[in-house]
Amino acid sequence: MTATIYSFFRLPAGIYITQSCFHSLIAVLIVNRAISSWDINSPLVRQRFRIVIIFISMLSCPLYQLINPERGSVNFRLDTLFDSSRWLNLELWDKLPLSLVFIALLLTTSLIFLFQEMVPIIRHTTESGPSPLDWQRLEDQSEIVRGLEHMPAERAVFYITTSDDQILFTRTGKEPSIYFSTGLIEELTTEELQGALSHEIAHIIRNKRPLLIIVFFFRMMLFFNPVVLLEFRRIVHDEEKICDDMAVESTKNPQALAESLKKLYHKTYPEKTSLEQHGHASHLEDRIKRIENNSAQNNGGQWGKFIFTVIVIAAINYFIV
Amino acid sequence: MKKYVPNSLFFTAAVIALIVLLRFLNWLPLSLEQGIARKYSSIEEVKAKLNIKKIYAPSYFPENFAWPPYEIIAQTKPFTSVTMKFRRTDRMSSTLVICQSDTAAPLTDSFPRMAQLKESITYPLKGRQALLDVGICRDKEPCSSMTWLEGRYRIAVAVESPPFELIKISESMLH
Repeated sequence: MTATIYSFFRLPAGIYITQSCFHSLIAVLIVNRAISSWDINSPLVRQRFRIVIIFISMLSCPLYQLINPERGSVNFRLDTLFDSSRWLNLELWDKLPLSLVFIALLLTTSLIFLFQEMVPIIRHTTESGPSPLDWQRLEDQSEIVRGLEHMPAERAVFYITTSDDQILFTRTGKEPSIYFSTGLIEELTTEELQGALSHEIAHIIRNKRPLLIIVFFFRMMLFFNPVVLLEFRRIVHDEEKICDDMAVESTKNPQALAESLKKLYHKTYPEKTSLEQHGHASHLEDRIKRIENNSAQNNGGQWGKFIFTVIVIAAINYFIV
Repeated sequence: MKKYVPNSLFFTAAVIALIVLLRFLNWLPLSLEQGIARKYSSIEEVKAKLNIKKIYAPSYFPENFAWPPYEIIAQTKPFTSVTMKFRRTDRMSSTLVICQSDTAAPLTDSFPRMAQLKESITYPLKGRQALLDVGICRDKEPCSSMTWLEGRYRIAVAVESPPFELIKISESMLH
């Protein structure tokens, strides 16, 4: 059993998986320290720092191997900063190899990815789209659509349906569309609705960026990596804040967006029963507080700090095998 | 700008602390488990610390090789392995490598890989069936290696020279 596990961690796939996990962990520690040391609050910059973690996790091992093919050798490992195999070869109570615990962690992460991320995506893709009978296209002359003319992007198509539920969702693709219900119109004022729709338009604009598509692809490939699982969720949270900032920037009405989120928040989470719901609710509360405090800032920059952080991560990770 | 310098210093201090922590975490398993791969200064030290009763070493040693081995790496977890490297007196690079490891263990990467295998034959080595490989190493030097099973171990000897010295060295390891 131990020999089989050991053999797996000597295979290229085993080496890649191990180093991907350890490199991403080091990257997270350094990125978090950089964000707190330099007091980086812009979600745009924070997201950039976090995206680096995904890239490092995906690419660092093969890149280092290209630079130095001897990097995995016994001699390199003996003199390096941190050799993961020393820990993986340890046995708890002389029976349970730590590598088995590590494999259990990888499997758990893979299952979480499968059931919390992949299954909903597959279900969403295979389900038939909204029926044209139920959804009515909103004319450009409508008051709501006219209120969104200032959004700096190619326009989305709006669909409305008669329902008491508060429905609001976006479909990207060839014809980006935003779907909402009459229940939402009844619940929100026109300004609040424009704030919520501006946020959705911001998602459509940003979803076209190739970088985010690459990050999503890498995240899928790194399904086994627990650090990437958590960091990708942080990237998604940052994305929400970026879109909030874009919406506020275009509507010039932060209060309306905050109010719309509050109303949706109370409808969506009247009582928080699961840990996941607590997580979503606390993220939503954080967004509302941020918009109300007018701390929206979509300024980028800070490239010097970013490059310095990436160099530090790359240099340390080179000596982690 | 006022805050930039102290903040940067704070970040640098955190990075240094992380490096120290990694060094400590790299050392910790060595103190918890004696059998993890590490360097040893002599064969006697390996025998004493890892409780390996028999370490196969040659009794014939060509004059142009320096004794003792300049590097010994040994371990008992997750499998037993002892690797000894020797230099020629006129060269700094490793030219003779002797590996002794459990039969199920993979061959250590310290063992020189041949860039081009010219000949591979079964050689009768004092009653054992040894595999003798002759070829060219990566630095275009002729090299040869011999591998055979000895009880629970697999012994592998590689030398950066034609096989004549290799056979003598290998034979001298068996009594």
